[in-house]
Amino acid sequence: MARKKILLADDSTTALTMGQAVLPKGVYDVVVARDGRAAVQVALDEAPDLIILDVVMPHMDGFEACRALRSLESTRTTPIIMVTTRGEPRNIEMGYEAGCSDYVTKPINGTELVSKVRDLLGE
Amino acid sequence: MSFAKSPALAPTELSDALQTALIAVSENAYFVFVEPCEPGQFDELARNGGVPHQPWLRATVDFAGESSGSVEILLPEKLGSWLVTSLLGMESDDALPSSQLYDGVAEFTNMVCGAWLSTLSEETLFTLKSPRVVAMPAGWTPLEPPQEPDAGWRQVSLNEMPMQIRALW
Repeated sequence: MARKKILLADDSTTALTMGQAVLPKGVYDVVVARDGRAAVQVALDEAPDLIILDVVMPHMDGFEACRALRSLESTRTTPIIMVTTRGEPRNIEMGYEAGCSDYVTKPINGTELVSKVRDLLGE
Repeated sequence: MSFAKSPALAPTELSDALQTALIAVSENAYFVFVEPCEPGQFDELARNGGVPHQPWLRATVDFAGESSGSVEILLPEKLGSWLVTSLLGMESDDALPSSQLYDGVAEFTNMVCGAWLSTLSEETLFTLKSPRVVAMPAGWTPLEPPQEPDAGWRQVSLNEMPMQIRALW
């Protein structure tokens, strides 16, 4: 069976490294993007099964990228987990308004993220 | 003070909240305790605490919302390298490229700023800019010239290395 593909989008190399370290080894194919605009393009090119999207990114922030992904036919229903440094209700509400499926806050709790990934992938 | 949901917070309380955010991020993500420095202790650490002749870094994250400002962190490169290697589970910081060092310090500052803003307001949506990290001039230390007493810096130590943090708004 083909491995599920996950798109990690963050402008920080450190955050991308952390994200990849948190996901179980050898279980998923991981592709990355370094800004919101690139995330939309990589999502179109790679058709990931799930997208993990940071909020603070250049060119197009995570909220804008999420809205763009939801406006495209091929990514309209792709699960999106927003990653934010802020856990205040208004910020989370903004993510859901943009169309995200779930969210996690930085510093990332690996167990929490993997649990949400598996849940959204139906595993 | 103009944070919409925290009108009663004085600058000292905002600094306390920032230090609390620093402690939370450091303990939860980096598994290191943050120790507030007593007067003179910071100078001693900056002068002799394992970081002599170390270049210092200044990391800044700007935020905007109903109030705008920035969070600044000053730390020696050695502490920055230690934070990055700790977060990523690396064994040694000997070969840490400067791009990775700067990126990791930027991410640390981003998390601290976000954690701080989360404690200040439940309703206000703040927008954070991408963090900036620059190297201070060669030979610079936070000890000379002496800082203005009201500059708002909090002085702490992590793993027996010095760090200064403040919020400007």
